[in-house]
Amino acid sequence: MTNRRRFAFAFSAIVALASALVPLRVDAQKTDRGKQLGAKLMCMCGCNQILTQCNHIDCPRSGPEIKELDQIVARNEPDNLVLQDFVQKYGQAVLSEPPSTGFNSIAWYIPGVAFALGLSIVVVLIRLWRQRDVARLATAAGPPAPGTPPVSALRNSQLERARRQADRETDD
Amino acid sequence: MFFSALFAYRGKHPELMPYVGVVVAGVQLFFLTLNNFVASPFKVVAAAGPGGVLHLATLADGRGLNPLLQYPEMVIHPPVLYSGYTGFTIPFAFALAALLGRYPGEKWIHLTRRWTMIAWCFQSAGILLGAHWAYAVLGWGGYWGWDPVENASLMPWLTGTAFLHSVMMQEKRGMMRVWNVWLVFTTFLLVIFGTFLTRSGVVSSVHAFAQSSIGRWFVGFLIIAIAVCLAAFFKNRDYLHSDNHLDSMLSRESSFLFNNLILLVACIAVLSGTLFPVLSEAIQGTKISVGPPFFNRVNIPIAMFLLFLTGVGPLLAWRKTSLESLRRNFGWPALGGLIVAVVAVALGLREFYVALCLLLSGFVVMTIGSEFFRGARVIAARTGANLISSVGQLTMRNTRRYGGYVIHFGMVLIFIGISGTAFNQDKQMEMSPGSVMSLGPYTLHLQNFDSDPQPNYSAERATIDVDRGGRSVMMLYPTRRFYPSNQESGTMVAISSTLREDLYVVYAGRSPDTNLPVIHAYLNPLVKWIWFGGVIVVMGTILALLPNRQAVLVISAVSESAAIPGTPQPARAIISARSQIQRDND
Repeated sequence: MTNRRRFAFAFSAIVALASALVPLRVDAQKTDRGKQLGAKLMCMCGCNQILTQCNHIDCPRSGPEIKELDQIVARNEPDNLVLQDFVQKYGQAVLSEPPSTGFNSIAWYIPGVAFALGLSIVVVLIRLWRQRDVARLATAAGPPAPGTPPVSALRNSQLERARRQADRETDD
Repeated sequence: MFFSALFAYRGKHPELMPYVGVVVAGVQLFFLTLNNFVASPFKVVAAAGPGGVLHLATLADGRGLNPLLQYPEMVIHPPVLYSGYTGFTIPFAFALAALLGRYPGEKWIHLTRRWTMIAWCFQSAGILLGAHWAYAVLGWGGYWGWDPVENASLMPWLTGTAFLHSVMMQEKRGMMRVWNVWLVFTTFLLVIFGTFLTRSGVVSSVHAFAQSSIGRWFVGFLIIAIAVCLAAFFKNRDYLHSDNHLDSMLSRESSFLFNNLILLVACIAVLSGTLFPVLSEAIQGTKISVGPPFFNRVNIPIAMFLLFLTGVGPLLAWRKTSLESLRRNFGWPALGGLIVAVVAVALGLREFYVALCLLLSGFVVMTIGSEFFRGARVIAARTGANLISSVGQLTMRNTRRYGGYVIHFGMVLIFIGISGTAFNQDKQMEMSPGSVMSLGPYTLHLQNFDSDPQPNYSAERATIDVDRGGRSVMMLYPTRRFYPSNQESGTMVAISSTLREDLYVVYAGRSPDTNLPVIHAYLNPLVKWIWFGGVIVVMGTILALLPNRQAVLVISAVSESAAIPGTPQPARAIISARSQIQRDND
């Protein structure tokens, strides 16, 4: 056997070994329904990835899970029964989304509640600010108190403030 | 970066810099303690010698780098992202220092603005580099999996983005001081929290290679940092009173306010989704998963609202915008967006969020375009220069503003790229030489397999001839590698990328039943727009960091002639000054 043949043999052996080590996700990619259901399930190896997208090298779980999914899909069971089968076998963690009932439904409400709360705070703050500004303007509109700077000085200072403010506002 | 910031202001701001130095030193002390005494990177190859003294072990040859990380992008992704994370320490240190030392005015914001933008730029680039690595190496056809560690990098980016917007309200109107200080604090705390998530293993993640037992140290540091922030805030909160309040709901300020609200809601959505499995397990005793479908469903509407605000913001004036001006400014951009959406729907892109995204993208691009056009037209009229040269002049006169618009444009491209995900297609087949697979407009002819031995791995490579419309357009070589030193396999995806779509081909291995090679092909529309948008975002940030070349014209004298009859003298003068500046600006 020449060196070249020996190398080719050794290489083939390594590739064959590597191939045997790599579990495949084949069938669930074949049908749309398999893909659709696979996207609702997680790979249970702990990689936190969708079942049909698990790229975890040498993943021991995704291959068997996908095979199982294909078998169930082949029985033509409704989607909810397929998912229920998986939940019974692997627990709630197999679902890629939190259930919309019970305690876990809170996960769905948090962003909406945060938005509503934030919006309410913003609206209340704006109202408070405007009320305060109206009150301040009303006070400022009254007769000048003793010791108030003369109109020209007040005007100049207001002008100066306006200039500085306009300068800042037109900068960006 | 820390030393650069401290060095840049050496001998200046004596009331502020000592506090800054102390805060930065405190953060460094924590990480140096971890590196030297808790999780020394050298300890893993150390061996106990006589008397229990640790010595560096001599290894003939290691197992090599994790195969997934043997990719050029992995050389730059970690340090770039790391620079983003650590860079947020600088605005944090300045904010805390200003609060502790009651440093007057908005000076600390001017001092840290550039540093914050640099950190944000690194964070953005780091996130996109990571996404590109995931796309090119992991072989699942996507670039973002909502993994907890990915989320950990996104959260400080979201609050950092909010800060970069709301900081303008403080600079220009002296508003939102409390809010800004807390945004900076939150960004820094999220950086530490993200490191905790990455290193503690508290949530399961595909980034498992970074797990260790140092999580409790980060919890301790987080508690101390929160306590310091709270103590500084409550002690000196009177220092943070705003000079002005919001004058109108139709103003630039209110758009920033809503922008901040939306960014924060996005951050809360990501944070709650990331931590919910832990919470659920702690309360109910059963573990649940919160995977990509949840994050997509929750974050897409938020992102659409944000895109809308990106377009609206520049159309609104500071303080107050009249309905007339709003109508005038909104008309063309809204029409442009509508036309884009109608064309998209007519072309068959009938997913609701895709059509909405394209409508809003068209709107934002038109808004940005009109901002450049109006400014450049004024310069062209005054100087006689052509419009393109005027755009250059305009941009260089106010790099921050127009750099910001360039960043917005980059973000629009990213959004368009992401919207393409709705039309992804894929197909997987066991193929032997000579067999054919069709995907979209492409036909893949498998020609043969060959080996490609390398010093640290052996590889099996498929040669695929790709036809489009009956004409051979390219050859692709997806590869499967095997690394003997750590007995692991990896993929090298073959990607043919155009602005329209990516043909993404993975050699997935061999079928256990037939031993035939399995080829998985994906057709991913518009992915290149994401990377292109990322480059524009970085370029826009660099532009915004440049100093202005020419000063903006500001009048020094006020004409009384423009005053409105019947208004009091000071008010008339103010209105007059404003209208003059408005005229000059227009």
